[in-house]
Amino acid sequence: MSLKPNFVLYVIKRHFHPISRWKNHVFLGHCNHTQIFAMGKGSAQGESSLGTCQSQNLAAWLMEANKLEIRPFELPALGPKDVKIRMKAVGICGSDVHYYKHMRLADFIVKEPMVIGHECAGVVEEIGNEVTHLAVGDNVALEPGVSCAHCSHCKEGRYNLCDEMKFFATPPIHGSLANFVVHPASLCFKLPENVSLEEGAMCEPLSVGVHACRRAGAGPHTKVLVMGSGPIGLVTLMAAKAFGSPRVVVVDVDENRLKMAQELGAHEVVCVSTRIEDVEKEVLEIQQKMAADVDITFDCAGLEKTMRTALKATRSGGEVCLVGMGHVEMKVPLTAAAAREVDILGVFRYRNTYQLCIDMISSGRINVKPLITHRFGFSQEDVVKAFNVSAMGGSAIKVMFNI
Amino acid sequence: MAEVQEGGFRAFHPSWEDPSCARNLAVWVCGVDDLRLLPYTVVPQLGMNDVRVKIKAVGICGSDVHYVKKLRNSRVAMKEPMVLGHESSGVICEVGASVTHLRVGDRVALEAGIPCNSCVLCKEGRYNLCKNVRFFGSPPTNGSLTQEVVHPASLCYKLPDNLTFEEGAMCEPLSVGVHACRRAKVEPGRRVLILGAGPIGLIVLLVSRAFGATTVHVTDIDQRRLMAAASLGAEGTLRVSSDMNDMENEVMELKQLIGVPIDVTFDCVGITKTMQTALKVTKSGGKVCLVGMGQDNLTLPLTSSAAREVDVLGIFRYCNTYPLCLDLLQSRKVDVRPLITHRYRLTEDDMKEAFQTTAMAGDAIKVMFTI
Repeated sequence: MSLKPNFVLYVIKRHFHPISRWKNHVFLGHCNHTQIFAMGKGSAQGESSLGTCQSQNLAAWLMEANKLEIRPFELPALGPKDVKIRMKAVGICGSDVHYYKHMRLADFIVKEPMVIGHECAGVVEEIGNEVTHLAVGDNVALEPGVSCAHCSHCKEGRYNLCDEMKFFATPPIHGSLANFVVHPASLCFKLPENVSLEEGAMCEPLSVGVHACRRAGAGPHTKVLVMGSGPIGLVTLMAAKAFGSPRVVVVDVDENRLKMAQELGAHEVVCVSTRIEDVEKEVLEIQQKMAADVDITFDCAGLEKTMRTALKATRSGGEVCLVGMGHVEMKVPLTAAAAREVDILGVFRYRNTYQLCIDMISSGRINVKPLITHRFGFSQEDVVKAFNVSAMGGSAIKVMFNI
Repeated sequence: MAEVQEGGFRAFHPSWEDPSCARNLAVWVCGVDDLRLLPYTVVPQLGMNDVRVKIKAVGICGSDVHYVKKLRNSRVAMKEPMVLGHESSGVICEVGASVTHLRVGDRVALEAGIPCNSCVLCKEGRYNLCKNVRFFGSPPTNGSLTQEVVHPASLCYKLPDNLTFEEGAMCEPLSVGVHACRRAKVEPGRRVLILGAGPIGLIVLLVSRAFGATTVHVTDIDQRRLMAAASLGAEGTLRVSSDMNDMENEVMELKQLIGVPIDVTFDCVGITKTMQTALKVTKSGGKVCLVGMGQDNLTLPLTSSAAREVDVLGIFRYCNTYPLCLDLLQSRKVDVRPLITHRYRLTEDDMKEAFQTTAMAGDAIKVMFTI
């Protein structure tokens, strides 16, 4: 495609312009599967930027509920400790889908259009002048959350709890489903030769499983129950095994998802119902299949029923780790569990997990590739299709964009 | 004496007709609100590793009252009359053949639960969770509100000279506080909040301070109990209501009162309102410790607290606490004497009054029998 000289490409400023102004824009066509808009010469809007398709940054914007559009995305200036990353692989997570459908998640509300996506890996395009551990051309996985480093949570090493956390695609912070992002170099982890960019992007969900296993103390001495065989249940299963757990039982309502769990190494699976009356019966079944006491239960669904089951099935003195984000109000028999000293641990994202994930993937201790079930390119059509596939669940575990 | 009581059992026990133990009296619960002072044949016989103890002081607690009212706890129902009491101390009057660390005449505090010592939990040191534990005054095991018991020597701890029998008996409830503060890792730097200023809440207050907590704040619905908390060293207190609608305001008030993030909240009441308050008011990454046994089916907004990595720890009795309790008492890092508010003797009238006083709570904190 060639550009006529009297058209000028504009970069949309960071502050979003109301949709009516788009009327002045003319659609030029596709370039590398992205849509290019241009303004008539002489218009007062925005900065002018001559450039080829490759240097313009486009991103997938969540405009309103169920409306994703690929549009230009202006990057901040490159700071001395930053790197500019050419994005290559971006996965979709349940939280991305939730924002897509509802424009909010718990107390986080999407008040204006936001770039979506946070599970990502790419190639270093440019480095700030104080960056020493990375070079242009390096493949890196990006840890999404920029914490403040001076609050007590950060100083105590629990930076995932930082109140000033700026996390890709948690409003109001833009995500990373884009051609390029700028990110602190300290949060970009170099991938060894034998770890692909897709596997780098998988470090994000895998980190959730790893952090949960660490918090709960999973190891060779713990027999583990995983409730829910979706993407999070599966990465938790894999992390538990990688941490040495000798026996992992996985439960779900979906037989197909349980098959995936078996393929990924679950020792036993139990198909459970959605009926709360079945808790007692299912607890017995689980204990039979475990053939031992359950030391740790990871609730990767976070529903009233799964929590009840977890609190009953886990042995006295054991741990229940709540990883899933299901219901907000849960009626749970807490006293009975507390009287057996079954502790309930919360998990929020992860901390200090990326290098470990990369090492475990590189050494072959964990294989995340089977989790990637669907792949899409970075086009308007593909983006919408990908989100719909991810939202449907079922056989879709991890939907990955290749940019 | 063959009436069938409300619990479905006969108010009869062979001890009562055993002529050899007419002199060993005990406080029996024989039915709802049916307390009787009757003989108690001490079983088992003295084994090689046991000691026979003349009981000198026994405290009673909410759980004892619960048996008088309900004839059961949440898991087990009484099937026959039972001797109450589990917070006790006394003097050794006979030792088994293999006992070396105790002698006749030694004054000891008695740890109430005899675990099996062979299950995984026992071997890992968490013997309080042993499924087969025999615990004084927890059906079907008779308690120690009596004149004489036989008990494993390994669960009898010699009292330092400067401690009274009452302080020895107080080691039992004090152990709950020690166990809770240990599990919640109370230490210097920690800001602690205690919900409920009853005997357990006040004990947790004393232990938190002994463990070096930077500040301890206490809430209760009863002003008298808050005054007790303040006199025992609470940095600040807040009177709260029992109305769920007040919870949001109370959370704000607490945060303002304390001014800094709360690391550990001990719920020493254990009802929906207190647990919800605890989950909301505790800082991200903090701990909520459920010590109280108020309600069986709590409705909790668990996801939002879990998403801040606020952990919920359960407390069941205690393990490996007696030596530390005696250290804390002897060195006066903890002084439990102010908690003993009422004293009674082992008579019919005193027995009834003692339990009534405990049940009414109010300005009664610890009710103690002198045997």
